[in-house]
Amino acid sequence: MVLDISRAADMRGIAATADGLRIGALVTHSELVRSPLVREFAPVLAEAARTIGAVQTRNLGTLGGNLATGVPSMDSGPALLALEARVTVAGPRGTRTLALGDFFVGPRRTALATDELLVDVVVPAASLGKPASFLKFGLRKGQALALVNVAAAVRVDPDRRAFVAPRIALGAVAPTVIRAPQAEAFLEGRPPTSEAMAEAGRIAATEARPISDFRASADYRRELVSVLARRALAAACARAQGAQ
Amino acid sequence: MSDRRTVTEDPALRESLSGLEASARLPATLPPAQFPIETLVPEVRQQTPAVGQRATRPDARLHGLGQTKYIDDLALPGMLHARIKRAGIAAARIVRIDTRAAEAMPGVMAVVTGRDVPVNSFGPSLQDQPVLADERVYHAGDGVAAVAAATDAIAAEALERIVVEYAPLPAVLDPFEAMREDAPRVHPPASNVYAHKIIRKGDVERALAEADRVFEGRWTTQMVEHVPIEPHAAIAAWDANGRLTVYSTLGRITLGRADIARTLALPVNRVQVIGTIVGGNFGGKNEISQEPVLALLAKKAGRPVKGVFTRGEEFYASTTRHPFFMDYKTGVGRDGRIRARKVRLVLDGGAYCSWSETTLGKACILATGPYRIEHVQVEAFAVYTNKTVAGAMRGFGAPQVCFAYESQMDEIAAALGIDPLEIRLANAFDEGAASPTGQTLESVVVKASLEQAAARFGWREPRS
Amino acid sequence: MSALRITVNGREHVLSAPPETTLLALLREHLGLTGAKLGCDVGDCGACTVLVDGQAVNACLMLAAQADGRSVLTIEGLATPDGLHPLQEAFERHAALQCGFCGPGAILSAKALLDANPAPTGAEIRDALAGNLCRCTGYTKMITAVHAAAQALRGAGAEMPPLGLTASPSIPLPGGEKGGGLS
Ligand SMILES: Cc1cc2nc3c(=O)[nH]c(=O)nc-3n(C[C@H](O)[C@H](O)[C@H](O)COP(=O)(O)OP(=O)(O)OC[C@H]3O[C@@H](n4cnc5c(N)ncnc54)[C@H](O)[C@@H]3O)c2cc1C
Repeated sequence: MVLDISRAADMRGIAATADGLRIGALVTHSELVRSPLVREFAPVLAEAARTIGAVQTRNLGTLGGNLATGVPSMDSGPALLALEARVTVAGPRGTRTLALGDFFVGPRRTALATDELLVDVVVPAASLGKPASFLKFGLRKGQALALVNVAAAVRVDPDRRAFVAPRIALGAVAPTVIRAPQAEAFLEGRPPTSEAMAEAGRIAATEARPISDFRASADYRRELVSVLARRALAAACARAQGAQ
Repeated sequence: MSDRRTVTEDPALRESLSGLEASARLPATLPPAQFPIETLVPEVRQQTPAVGQRATRPDARLHGLGQTKYIDDLALPGMLHARIKRAGIAAARIVRIDTRAAEAMPGVMAVVTGRDVPVNSFGPSLQDQPVLADERVYHAGDGVAAVAAATDAIAAEALERIVVEYAPLPAVLDPFEAMREDAPRVHPPASNVYAHKIIRKGDVERALAEADRVFEGRWTTQMVEHVPIEPHAAIAAWDANGRLTVYSTLGRITLGRADIARTLALPVNRVQVIGTIVGGNFGGKNEISQEPVLALLAKKAGRPVKGVFTRGEEFYASTTRHPFFMDYKTGVGRDGRIRARKVRLVLDGGAYCSWSETTLGKACILATGPYRIEHVQVEAFAVYTNKTVAGAMRGFGAPQVCFAYESQMDEIAAALGIDPLEIRLANAFDEGAASPTGQTLESVVVKASLEQAAARFGWREPRS
Repeated sequence: MSALRITVNGREHVLSAPPETTLLALLREHLGLTGAKLGCDVGDCGACTVLVDGQAVNACLMLAAQADGRSVLTIEGLATPDGLHPLQEAFERHAALQCGFCGPGAILSAKALLDANPAPTGAEIRDALAGNLCRCTGYTKMITAVHAAAQALRGAGAEMPPLGLTASPSIPLPGGEKGGGLS
């Protein structure tokens, strides 16, 4: 059976609320790219959305659909995970919210019950405007799934010259999109040097659990994690320092 | 202006129909804006002054208007849609095929298997390919049964209800393994080496022994699918006199016509093949594939039948470019002149010969490159494996060997400390040069081309 | 069956179709508009590109029901009885159509781009055409054609150009040199 949800009005729209930035599950990737609210408060999400498929895909594909597939290579997952987003799920037994990390259960598996819908995604207020960066490596620039994608979000304390709440999320290298908690812990409180970020990249690579398939080998993907995580951290860090 | 351009309202048509409004109804869909069909008809033996001129394709007008009709844009009254069940196993004996459940489905109008094919073999040079596999499966893309139904969706669903029991056989997937004496035979009792050629000129062994330097290397290329954006498509329809008309994306309709007639055991004059505008061929539409199957379904159902390959079938059930394994041994003087070249090519042909013989021939002739070499030996083998068929693709083996000899040329240049351009100029053919097979070559512009290219991208300018 | 009211190429259609009908099947099989092609059926090739409310979409991935109440433009609706759309003219003139199978989709993607952005950069054109795969012509000619059409749209409209050979030996080459045979 096919249920067309594309006209469910309360699953649309992007709004700034007291909780944070609320993005309806039916918002398309193109809408994310163009949204002034997203560009201002969570630009990394627009950066990630821009890399999804091609124009035609972005015009039809929704954020909710992207997350609900549970595909580990999804591009919106890492950006939202790095921003510690929460999701709202509704069904006959009512509405619940859960951390995005708990929403992903396994490859192509989510916490959604068969009778539940993903209603919206909330980027919490604490993450709004947090400097972040998203990088994707595919076999070509347009219309290619990620071999690896990485998002990093960091704050830098200007007085202590130290990383605060660094977040690193990795896609396509584990059964679900994952965070890299050891790399994050390594960076917490450390000065934002290129050596520290390179080391964090190496640690993140050890946290990845990639598979080999026809697109790339596990070793290649691990190497990509280390490079992309370092570069994403550097870009996020530059944004953090540029904002000060 | 842009509004007027985006909305196709034809005021003239409206006007002319308005008087009829009471008695005549507009059709549900008015035809879109149409344009008179202008084409250029070339005159026999006319010398077109094309060089230095700007040419537009005569067919581009209708392409851009979306008015061009490709096969899948055509529909005949009462036409059915066909799907072919693919084996999905590389090598097996077919124990039994049960089509009863599919035949019982509402909307299914005909089902055929290999048993229904009068002469179940075809191929452009060797007739080694079944129209539908009946006793044995040679590769996973083999068709084993086909359905014609009222809609494509019903046909697809009917395939799921066809039960095929296989007794798996050992598959051989590597061409070198296939060449061993004890390897399983893909087409028993025939040898897995189905084409072989050797070219000899001069005394290659002695020249190699006497050369200042000898370079050896192996280069390999992968299987490549043509991926035309238009998939293989065809429509088969019979007339009251038992004549068959096939509309097809086939690039070689006369050859295809003979193959269709042969497989259906019909005289050639009972078969008409109509080729129309093709949405990309690149060599991949050079032989029949589903046409006899559609003809048999159409005959059984008493209705025209259309078949369009899925994108998946384009990859596993159509032909591809041969993977090549290329061993090069080249003897060179200190001056960079090539004295001798010995080449061994192994072509992974997949399950059927298709256009392998042409590919092998062309690859052999071109394997030593556009270079003056006195002592040459080229030996090539085309080998069966239980894989997707390799056949014609732009260049017929030329791109593969070019990759090998030019790669080795760069290695030689680097080892001898000679500029890669200079080493090519020192060895390249001149006007009147002899090819390895003794052909005298005319209009030879290798050196001129190299010089012009080098000048255009500034090869000789100092690099920073 | 789903009841649908869809405007296609400026004309409204009231239809009923089985719910699984894709927009592509509706256009091709029910409305006889075969300009949008079935190339891959999974949204990769873009041969089925049409504009829905001005946005480029893959009609093979959209259900007809999702287009209910919306306005669809197919390639057949682009030209007017007065002449070609500047994109059609430019694609023809700049040899951006070879086998032509990807042409309708590519032209419509370019139309959506030029409607939103009348003076796109090369990178923006590339991005807009990334979802339209072509195997014969190469994309360079398409990019040239979109630039030319953008220019024409900003200036005058387009008439029907003559077909065939014209005596203008000025095929521009990268670097601005004139083309010609080997000397
Ligand atoms: C050609 C192509 C290229 C692509 N490239 C990329 C890429 O580069 N990166 C990337 O990340 N993705 C890519 N995708 C995947 C795709 O674009 C996304 O996953 C898209 O966002 C899906 O959104 P949708 O609304 O179309 O969902 P659908 O495809 O309609 O649904 C996907 C699944 O999610 C379920 N679902 C959808 N919405 C909800 C909801 N609100 N609540 C509960 N369940 C729901 C559906 O039931 C279905 O199981 C590509 C897809 C295509 C076709």
